[in-house]
Amino acid sequence: MTATNPTIKLGPGLAIGYTAPLATFSEEVELQGGTHFLLARNGRGKSTLLRTIAGSLRKLSGDFSTHGFMQYLPEDMRFDPEITPKTIFKSLLPKARHEAALSLADRIELDVNKVYGKLSTGNRRKTALIMAEYSVMPDRGNILLLDEPFSGLDAFARETFEEMWNKTSDNVLRLVSCHPDYDSMIMPSVLLIEGNKISHHADDGQKWSSLKALLN
Amino acid sequence: MRLFKLTFATIFRRKAWAFCLFALLFLPFALPMISSASEKPVLVQPARIQAAWGTLFICTMVWGFFAAARLGESNTRSGTGEYFRTTGLSATRQLFEIWLALFAYIVPLAFTATAICLFAAMPAEASEKAMWWTLNFQYLTLFLLVFAPLLALACALASRYGGITGFGVTFLITIYGLYGVGYLDNMLKLEANSALQALWLYSPQYRFADLTQRLYFKTGALSGEVFGNMILYFTAILAVNTGISRLCFRTSATA
Repeated sequence: MTATNPTIKLGPGLAIGYTAPLATFSEEVELQGGTHFLLARNGRGKSTLLRTIAGSLRKLSGDFSTHGFMQYLPEDMRFDPEITPKTIFKSLLPKARHEAALSLADRIELDVNKVYGKLSTGNRRKTALIMAEYSVMPDRGNILLLDEPFSGLDAFARETFEEMWNKTSDNVLRLVSCHPDYDSMIMPSVLLIEGNKISHHADDGQKWSSLKALLN
Repeated sequence: MRLFKLTFATIFRRKAWAFCLFALLFLPFALPMISSASEKPVLVQPARIQAAWGTLFICTMVWGFFAAARLGESNTRSGTGEYFRTTGLSATRQLFEIWLALFAYIVPLAFTATAICLFAAMPAEASEKAMWWTLNFQYLTLFLLVFAPLLALACALASRYGGITGFGVTFLITIYGLYGVGYLDNMLKLEANSALQALWLYSPQYRFADLTQRLYFKTGALSGEVFGNMILYFTAILAVNTGISRLCFRTSATA
């Protein structure tokens, strides 16, 4: 493992929840660079798991470790309604990446001069995603925990981000909670919360259609 | 300093600071014209001093505390506080960066009020000029020392208890420290009461930092010893307020 290899190790017995356990890992799971999806029905603990890994919530039992620069993007994260996406990028991103961020925004039709408060839900998600993606540190491992990043996003923007993820899978580990909306969506690595158990399913040809039957 | 930059840009975009700056530049020159000073030119400069510092106090206590409370509340409730914490920015650092961004707007306002007193209300007598510089420097120092931790307190209280509480509690503490303790002092002079005496003793005596009357009546700068003691006293209050602020400050609603 090198300094640019991000990892998340989730030990057996790791339980997540607020007061009572919502779900527990039955065996050890190790995630490395690339995109991993987190699937579960509503209220089963997707956000809780992401927040536990991010360190925002305490684990109830068990152990886990992370290696890499962490960013957790909450589903309901929002910026001040008076500022524009351009101001957000200029404030939060390194100067060398402003142009690239603005170029991506232009490609996915995000009006960077419109105030945040007047942006649609999808465009707000685009703003947060661009901010997080361009905050990734190129010289070290990164962990991006994305909570429902696709909600409200149009298909073109979604594909653009997925292409971007494929290009930067070496030093970025993305754990993405989502509700897939088409059966043929390929998901080579999936953390699945079934009932109160969390398991890892990895297969290069794995699709959403074969996984959804496991959700209860 | 990403959160500092974001907060600084947010305050800038909201433009309320510009109203404060305009009020501070306009009112000290306009208000004396509609007061009794318009009939007695000798009163113009004292009236200008009162207007300048009065406007600064009002701007800081109304806009400054409101902005601090709003920033603290929104950092917690918008998810940005949680995001920054997961990137390694501790709660202490977040409070510091938010406070610093707001303080960066308050400092120029305070310098503006001081500059008005120095350049638009300077006594004519040469002997009073040196004193005037010293007194204004002392006033500026004490003002910043008093209000710096109060801004952090408003932000921290709002992050935990909501914006109204953050603003309201800090505003009332400041009003009490500026005026309430004076009334309490007068009451205790009329009738001794051990409970009120204890309350008075542990109250923040912000009124000592208000040197407007000294400027108004040109009673001279504070002696080095008195000024040093006041610096120590308000530094101790700053330490207490900073500790309370850090204890109260939170970065996410469920943390």
